[in-house]
Amino acid sequence: MNEKYCVVTFETVQQSLVFEKHLQQNELTVKLMPVPRQLSSSCGTAAYVDCKDKERIKSLCSESNIIFDEFFELSQDKKNSWFLNHLKK
Amino acid sequence: MNSKKKMFMYGGVIGLAAAILMRFGNPGNMGMCIACFWRDIAGALGLHKAAVVQYIRPEIIGIVFGTFFISYLTGDFKARGGSSPLIRFILGFFLMIGALVFLGCPLRMIIRLANGDLNALVALAGYVAGIFVGVQFLKKGYTLGKNYEQAKIAGFLVPIFALVLLIFLVVKPAFILFSTEGPGSMAAPVILSLVLGAVVGIALQRSRICTAGGIRDMILIKDNHFLWGILGIFAFTLIGNLVLNFGKINIGFVDQPIGHTDFLFNFLGMALVGLCSVLLGGCPIRQTVLASQGDTDAGITVIGLIIGAAFAHNFGLAASGSGVPTNGKIAVLIGIVFVLIIAYSIVADQKNKSAKKSKGVSANV
Repeated sequence: MNEKYCVVTFETVQQSLVFEKHLQQNELTVKLMPVPRQLSSSCGTAAYVDCKDKERIKSLCSESNIIFDEFFELSQDKKNSWFLNHLKK
Repeated sequence: MNSKKKMFMYGGVIGLAAAILMRFGNPGNMGMCIACFWRDIAGALGLHKAAVVQYIRPEIIGIVFGTFFISYLTGDFKARGGSSPLIRFILGFFLMIGALVFLGCPLRMIIRLANGDLNALVALAGYVAGIFVGVQFLKKGYTLGKNYEQAKIAGFLVPIFALVLLIFLVVKPAFILFSTEGPGSMAAPVILSLVLGAVVGIALQRSRICTAGGIRDMILIKDNHFLWGILGIFAFTLIGNLVLNFGKINIGFVDQPIGHTDFLFNFLGMALVGLCSVLLGGCPIRQTVLASQGDTDAGITVIGLIIGAAFAHNFGLAASGSGVPTNGKIAVLIGIVFVLIIAYSIVADQKNKSAKKSKGVSANV
């Protein structure tokens, strides 16, 4: 199982709300969610987006001065647990 | 196992631990309570003189060690800090005042509810209301600012503090105070408390469960991921109590262990806790976990909790089974107003900053 999905992280909750609104206005897929466990041990807010929209999102955000922290491409690898990763090290 | 089931099970581990610890000697509905336990530790260290609530709770030491070891093993341990430490201290301080007026942190609120204490339902309404108000500030741009990488030793300080507490608990030097009566004298065996504390710490660190985060996400982004953890705590405390503490289940408002029936201040006390938790980015249990995995800002928050507990008892603010003292009521009201002023000032400051920034951009163009 290796499903790819993309998330965008933010420094403040408000930035995530502005980002969500802007993407919705431009009819792009976006859903706010807790930051995925594999990215962070914090419990902040991130946005789930469509990976194919990456370049469009980046240009939309820079045009409209919308700030986000980082863009991540993740794979939902079911076998990928922290324990196995630790053993592989 | 899907993520919701996983969260539910992690919450279940915490709930079961709470029921077991109550069965083996912890005070009523206090199998686990982060605010009460830090308060007992403050008492044991002599920071307050309330003789009935002084004990070095091994559960806290267990949570710190469990979190520290699992986060070190998984690479989550990072020494970071520098995000408005003094504000966090103050928020932690007032959070504790609110918790000791209700008599419990949000975790104990869930545990009290799972044993039939309906005062916790009133408190839950207050907690949700406090979180709702806090979320409005988040929406308007409230932030305590970025944190930064710090020297590794900074991250070890809280685990070292826990180690010192463990030594005090075992050696029992004369300057450490232990209650001989009251809730502080009621405790499960040290080894059991330590081990279950560590298990709870691991579950919390892996799951990131936060009672405030679960409700915040439901209000803010309609996401129920963390809420499933809270439901797990409730469900498994209930099941654990039905099996282990059946005789102690008491559905109603009156005669509840370490609780009172002042509706207004159960509501307002937990509203203050909810507000502070959202503004801090986590409830007391989450702060304790973060502090144990290298987050020095959470470490400062925990010190705020300890000092808040000391003042709550020294100034006669903390409630008891017989009700909330006048000083406690005044302190909660001052806390709510003061915390709202802090949050409002930060939002206003952020607006000024972004206005200046956009002016700067247009001037450059």
